[in-house]
Amino acid sequence: MATLTETRKPALRRELEAIVGTSGVLSEPDELLVYESDGLTLFRALADFIVFPTSAEQVAAVVRLANREGIPFVARGAGTGLAGGCLPTEGGLVISMMRMNRVLEVDYDNQIAVVEPGLVNLHLSWAVGPRGFYYAPDPSSQQACTIGGNIATNSGGPHTLKYGVTVNHVLGLEVVMPDGEIVWLGGKTRDALGYDLPGVFVGSEGTFGIATKIVVRILKKPQAVKTVLAVFERIEQASVAVSAIIARGLVPAAVEMIDQLTIQAVEDAFGCGYPRDAAAALLIELDGLVVGMDTQAERIVAACREAGAREVRTAADETQRQLLWKGRKSAFGAYGRVSPAYMVMDGVIPRTRLPYVIGRVNEIVAAHGLRVGNVFHAGDGNLHPNILYDPRKPGEEARVMAAGAEIMKVCAEVGGSISGEHGIGIEKADFMPFIFSAADLALMQRLKDAFNPRGLCNPGKVFPTRKSCVEIGPVAYRPHAIETQGLAQRF
Amino acid sequence: MSLLDKLRAVVGQAHVLTGVELSRYVIEGRTPEAAVLPGSVDEVAAIVAHAMETGVPIVPWGGGSAIGVGAPPARAGLVLVLTRLDALVEHEPGDLTATAQAGITIAALQAALRARGQWLSLDPSDAARATLGGVLAANASGPRRHLYGTARDLLIGVTVVTADGAVVHGGGKVVKNVAGYDLPKLFVGSFGTLGVIVEATVKLRPLPDAERLVAVRFERLQDAGVALRNLLGSDLIPNAVDLLDGPSAGALGLPAAPATLAVGFDGLGEQVDWQVAELATVVVRCGGAKPAPLAAETWARLASASRDAFDTPAAVMTLSVLPAVVAETMEHGAQTARKRGLMSAWCAHAGVGHLTATLCADAPRPDPAPIAAVLEEWRAAARAGGGHASVTWAPLPVKSALPVWDEAGAAGRLMKRIKAQLDPNNLLNPGRFVGGV
Repeated sequence: MATLTETRKPALRRELEAIVGTSGVLSEPDELLVYESDGLTLFRALADFIVFPTSAEQVAAVVRLANREGIPFVARGAGTGLAGGCLPTEGGLVISMMRMNRVLEVDYDNQIAVVEPGLVNLHLSWAVGPRGFYYAPDPSSQQACTIGGNIATNSGGPHTLKYGVTVNHVLGLEVVMPDGEIVWLGGKTRDALGYDLPGVFVGSEGTFGIATKIVVRILKKPQAVKTVLAVFERIEQASVAVSAIIARGLVPAAVEMIDQLTIQAVEDAFGCGYPRDAAAALLIELDGLVVGMDTQAERIVAACREAGAREVRTAADETQRQLLWKGRKSAFGAYGRVSPAYMVMDGVIPRTRLPYVIGRVNEIVAAHGLRVGNVFHAGDGNLHPNILYDPRKPGEEARVMAAGAEIMKVCAEVGGSISGEHGIGIEKADFMPFIFSAADLALMQRLKDAFNPRGLCNPGKVFPTRKSCVEIGPVAYRPHAIETQGLAQRF
Repeated sequence: MSLLDKLRAVVGQAHVLTGVELSRYVIEGRTPEAAVLPGSVDEVAAIVAHAMETGVPIVPWGGGSAIGVGAPPARAGLVLVLTRLDALVEHEPGDLTATAQAGITIAALQAALRARGQWLSLDPSDAARATLGGVLAANASGPRRHLYGTARDLLIGVTVVTADGAVVHGGGKVVKNVAGYDLPKLFVGSFGTLGVIVEATVKLRPLPDAERLVAVRFERLQDAGVALRNLLGSDLIPNAVDLLDGPSAGALGLPAAPATLAVGFDGLGEQVDWQVAELATVVVRCGGAKPAPLAAETWARLASASRDAFDTPAAVMTLSVLPAVVAETMEHGAQTARKRGLMSAWCAHAGVGHLTATLCADAPRPDPAPIAAVLEEWRAAARAGGGHASVTWAPLPVKSALPVWDEAGAAGRLMKRIKAQLDPNNLLNPGRFVGGV
């Protein structure tokens, strides 16, 4: 891989401007700083250029230019990623997709939409909402994150318990391949011909090419929604309740857990009506037909009571429901009340191991002299321990990293995974051997070589590597610009 | 030592079949050199390694129910039969996941899961014979895919033996997982061309309290198309929406109305009742009859209704189109066949745009030319609507007369690169799949 010399840069800038226009290229150091990290601000690196294409042809031309120069490139959406997945590892180009943000087509009869990758996730639901439809994957950053970025990480969200993650909603993509060729993978029909290339592309963390058009399914909004809050004296009871709900044959739309530290932070900040003395609460949402909704809610209540819930209440109206969800969704912002910084983990475990693993997480963090807040997608076993720390205290960040690695190991030991929805990126690349053998990784590498043989497309991600030109801690946590604007949160 | 001797050393004399024992493993008229039945994953790995050393191609074989899909193999080589790997390895109901070996039949797997109140929401035809590995490799599905999706939506972890004899794991045991590339997606529908699936972990669902399948008859196919559109746009949440033409309905023992919608519902009893009643109001407005209950056995026969319509089928084609054009695709497709003097039968998982069409042979050895011409026209119609169509069963003369698989274009070149990376010597089920991979 080449790096650009200072003397070469002006000529390259002119060529990039010829492709995307003079307003479509950034190269001043202060401008580049904005793109030095994603939502995981522990890792930073500076690109040489940020380019803003407005069409697949422009993306392809930029990619061909990068290939000619032998310089790396990475596509970027809103930069809300949490694993350093769109970090410009070794200089080169950041290709921002934010000017390609249109809804190109909505076909209500066939319940599909064709969108550009820079479209903000929530904006798609807004666009189709008036006709009674929505886009199901709902990462908590959905007010800011883009569908293209969701494609890269195969994003989830609270409602993926019932409706699946991004890949379950993507039928086809127009992709600029790492060599600049424009290729359609899949299409508008439900079944792709041949290998499931859309399925493999989604979640490839930007290493297989750059999506320029995306065909997604849109769903009819459910007739009815019911939201239940179950309050527990002990966190193990809440964990047991999750399996009890599943065992009763119920698949709620969402089952979220919030622990005491988080409840108290949320109540201090926003007053959403969670009991401050509870050890844990489950926020459970049912959706579907009006008929049968009460019966299902009764079964949920019974399962929670049997697991030892001291109180189970149902949101009486949309205002109460929104308030409960606000508590869940604003937990990140609330941590600011109790800690100057935190690091969010993203492990996944089999649901039945929740009681054990939550206990282990709390032990591990305590052993490192730190505190942890848990707020996560309990229904599908996707943990988000948030380790609280003070970056100004020497050595504390290193203890956070050590505790995080131990938590990842526990997830792996119980048959889980090191990432449920945030991706591996650069953050967890060295943890990959916790769950994958050398042979597993070798097969993934061969797959990558089929898409990206020169390795110029988002290098340094996903695979374990020791060599890196990236500035990696000990650097103080800084909230990302979009966090401080209140546009996004970390889980 | 010859390859056969090496194989016998791996699996034992009794599990290497040769000569007349191979009659049930003949593929498109080609007899394999041997069939081998390993009893463990390590044995599969050893067999693949030995075959690769000697350059003998391998055909993975589950129940054989989809072995006729695809281009005829240039050389049958070694049939690798996975039916001895039939263990349910792990089923933890509280996790709604199960891990099973590839050779377990779908019927056996479902029976074990059902005993604990759960099921794998995948209902391919021929469940008593089809194996889990085969169903994943062929991406087989059934009517309930309308609500529950296909293998890609349910497979969360896979163990495969790759062309170099390595045992490789992809995905995991948890329902949500984005660590590394999604290898389970790669192997679903890859027809054994990238590796031999030996074990799989799948997402499960709780058994519903109630389930019902009803039929709505229409005097005109186009009315059924309108009803289908209104049904998909309604608040109803059917788990299956199949459309049958006259011959297909007849094959199921139903009155051979020009069009029949078979609609399934599951959930709480009260939900099923309400939805069936609501369905009546949706379809009656479009000229449909009152929904009539169908026997539970009908579920398993829906997907193969068009094939079962004729005693002497001449070819079967699967077409993938947009749901909104399913009825007109059926209507025009049947006309196309009639113009060439051929009968056809059509059935569809209509809500997801998946059609199966069967042509009837008019003679014991029908002329392949008109059959191929009709299939080509059907394919052109599917392509015109942004879809694709492939021949999923036909005698050799028909398969020789047109490409079995549709043309995958630029994506096909990428598929070839993937195949070259994973199977550089081209020995895993070579030449049978899309683009010749």
